[in-house]
Amino acid sequence: MNKVGTQPNIIGRVSLWQLFWTFFKTGLFTFGGGYAMISILEEELVSKRKWLTSQDMLDMLVIAESTPGVIAVNTATSVGYRLRGVLGAVIATLGVVLPSFAIITALSFVINQFADNTWYKAAFTGVQACVTVLVLNAFIKMFCQLERGWFSALMVAAAFDISLFTDFNVIYIILTGGALGIVYTLIVDAVGKKKSAALLSEQLLSDSEKDDSLPKNGGDK
Amino acid sequence: MIYLELFWEYFKVGLFTIGGGYAMLPLVTQIVSKHGWLTDRQLIEFIGVAESTPGPFAINLATFVGNTVGSTTRLGVWGGLLGALVATVAVVLPSLVIIIVVTLLFDKFRSNRYVKGALKGIRPVVVGLILCSVFTVAAKVVLPDFDFKHLSSDGASQFNWISLIIIFAFVPLSQIKIKGKKIHPICLILLSALLGVVIFGAFGVRQ
Repeated sequence: MNKVGTQPNIIGRVSLWQLFWTFFKTGLFTFGGGYAMISILEEELVSKRKWLTSQDMLDMLVIAESTPGVIAVNTATSVGYRLRGVLGAVIATLGVVLPSFAIITALSFVINQFADNTWYKAAFTGVQACVTVLVLNAFIKMFCQLERGWFSALMVAAAFDISLFTDFNVIYIILTGGALGIVYTLIVDAVGKKKSAALLSEQLLSDSEKDDSLPKNGGDK
Repeated sequence: MIYLELFWEYFKVGLFTIGGGYAMLPLVTQIVSKHGWLTDRQLIEFIGVAESTPGPFAINLATFVGNTVGSTTRLGVWGGLLGALVATVAVVLPSLVIIIVVTLLFDKFRSNRYVKGALKGIRPVVVGLILCSVFTVAAKVVLPDFDFKHLSSDGASQFNWISLIIIFAFVPLSQIKIKGKKIHPICLILLSALLGVVIFGAFGVRQ
């Protein structure tokens, strides 16, 4: 199996129950959009169980964000599939969805009063502050996984600005990012080739100058 | 057959929205009013509830809409349960199939020059989106009326400085290590809930 990044001996050894339980906890403690769960998943999957690396996490987020659907579900499916195949994908998704399903269904008749309760509101105001910090930590962790350099920094800043201050659809931002990435890579490759070609010819030149006694093409000694 | 309709509509929501739960909202609003499943007021009220109850926002919403629609059938409570199940499964199903296919393709083509290049651009974009989320979540807590998309000074009136202090307290708290281990994020959430109850509940500080 050439599953990338993860140690191959771990894949297939993760029990379905562990997978379910991890994502059940994650689903239970996710509030609002899916980003707060990154911190919990980092702790559970990367630090504690070492099933994945942070780089794997970033790549799964990339997949989750650029495909249709709920990000939390996409992430669960992606991780589950990587660790235990199709069944793993189903089990992880079930785990992340079940808390929502159970809580909303069980409280369906009183859910509005429940959320309006003074004490619940007070607790939730506290939780919101914590969620902010968890998303911040997720950002720092994922930022550290990026390739260093001006290009990455610029792309982060641009995506941040555009998504915060404008109504552009996320998919256009992602598509533009992908296109710019391709252009950047092609330019870097082209420049790199020219440079190395220039370097090579320089070397050949200096080599042939050095040992004048040898016939031409003294470079291949 | 109302369940079939529910399934089909939510399947489309799961299939056609990119960008997570909040991106689904316009489409959900549209289908709900088209079929007369929920009143606008019901929907707006529940959006607030879905944000504050555990679980991903979009799944909470799907379960609620399904439950409400199902409850109107002759099956009563069981109908509600069935409706919730149908809507949730429908919204999740496209993800399941698409992600598996994309992951397969991703592993196959990730060493391709163009895919590599595209990833070089998309990775920082996703990180930028997470940073954006830091700001929107923080604003929701500290400046509830503030809107980044329509900047004006009106929103600055409701400044929740206590939440800001909690945020600043939790930044170092989430980094300190006890016996070489950081505090588990779930413990941090529970702690923050407790703090919220004490500060905003027991002491009645304005939220």
